[in-house]
Parts: sequence; C-alpha cells; structure tokens
Amino acid sequence: MKPPVIETFLLKLDDSLRWTGIPTRVSAQMSGAPIERKHRPLRWIPIWPVAFSCALFILSLTLPFALDLVELASALVAIVMAMAPVIHMQGPLGRPSYEDDEREAALRKDSFLFCFGLLACLNCLGQPFLVILAVLQHWHAAKSVVVAISALMLNVTLFQNLPTLYASWNLQALPKE
Amino acid sequence: MGLYNRIAVFRAERGVSRRDLAEAVGVNNQTIGYLERGDYTPSLELALKIAHYFGVNIEMLFSFERFEPIGMTLKRAGEDQ
Repeated sequence: MKPPVIETFLLKLDDSLRWTGIPTRVSAQMSGAPIERKHRPLRWIPIWPVAFSCALFILSLTLPFALDLVELASALVAIVMAMAPVIHMQGPLGRPSYEDDEREAALRKDSFLFCFGLLACLNCLGQPFLVILAVLQHWHAAKSVVVAISALMLNVTLFQNLPTLYASWNLQALPKE
Repeated sequence: MGLYNRIAVFRAERGVSRRDLAEAVGVNNQTIGYLERGDYTPSLELALKIAHYFGVNIEMLFSFERFEPIGMTLKRAGEDQ
C-alpha cells in the first residue's frame, strides 16, 4: 500500500534538510562536543568574484550603452555573489565568532576594519567621480541605473570577499608538529 | 618592539604538544604555533596563563630581547658554580 502523498512529501522535506548538514551541526553544537572543521586560507578563490564585479563595473562605465550585455554580465556576477557565503564559511573567518580565541578575534577585527576602510575610501572617491562623469557625458537615466547597480554589486562583492582575502594573506602556513 | 618567547623550548623540554598547551590555556592550537613563531603577540592574560602552565615567571618565557641559546645559559651557569 502506498503511503499518503503528504507523508512522502514531508519525509522528502526531512531528507532534504538532513542533506544540508544543518541538523547534524546543530545537534553537535547542542551536545557541546568540539566540532572539527577545516578553515583554510583561501588566497585565490575570493579574487574571482571581485575580478568579475570589477569587470562588470568597468563594462558598464566604458562600453557604449548595451543593456543586454550588462544584464548578462550582471546575472553572471549575481551567480558568483551567491557563492560568497560558501567561500566565507570555508575561509579563515568561517568559524562562528563566539568560538574565536584572542588571536582569531584580532584577525577578524583587522580583516573587517581593512574591508570597511577600503570600502569607505572607494565610495568617498567614487561617488563624486561618478556624478561628475554622469554630468560630463550626459548619461541617460537607464545608463545611470545600470552603473548604480553594477557599483552596488561591486560593493557587495568586496564586502563579502575582502575580509576572507585579507585574513587568508595574513595567515602563513604552520609546519606540522 | 618585538616580543621573543621560549614557548617551543619549554614545550619540547616537557614533552607537551601544541594541542595540550592550547587546551590548558583556552586557545586554538594554531594560536600556539603562531605564538611560537613570533607571528602573534599574546595578551598579558594569555602570557600569564602560559607562564602559569609551565610554572615559571613570565620573564622566563617572554622577553623584548632575543633569548641567548640554551647552551650559553648552561655554560654560564656552570662557570658561576
């Protein structure tokens, strides 16, 4: 006899949740047992999303207005941006901050301070530059929107990846004991 | 000003692993590795905890000047006696 449809569907939901590994992680945390997870320095992988976002931003600025091309590039960058949480979790700052010891807390603080400092500088210089460029080149509203969206994507990508990059380049591999 | 330490020497002398020392003083074992290599300057609290673990004064473990080699220290101690 076949099980009711609703039960099968709920069981599938349960299976899909177990597949994510979240229940195992939560139960391990609740038990208080130490969780062994690898958080390795990622020196090159976070450069890719940043490079894609920079390329999109430059494309939106320099090329003659071509909405299709920019939309395609935006979709590509959005996919790359969706990978950022995975990159962050695998990187040296992926451990939850409440598990940090004093060195890791200092590294986290330095990484985010560097990221926010750089983003603040870029935005302070970039915003007047973009406004002046828009006035000089007589941008249409549509072009302004495209440039603004690509600048937002660049900001988000930098925020997602710069701390991991900074922390990864600051950590030198330790010899095995 | 750099801070030098002899954690690795004390650890080797007493046969203590990085993991054991890290658990005793409440840090990640990688932090002990970075401390030993001089890549990280510990807080006063952590430095005191490590000194307490080895049962020595903090000056025996940490110094602003390079520690002389153990052979030199032993030679000097022999001459004094």
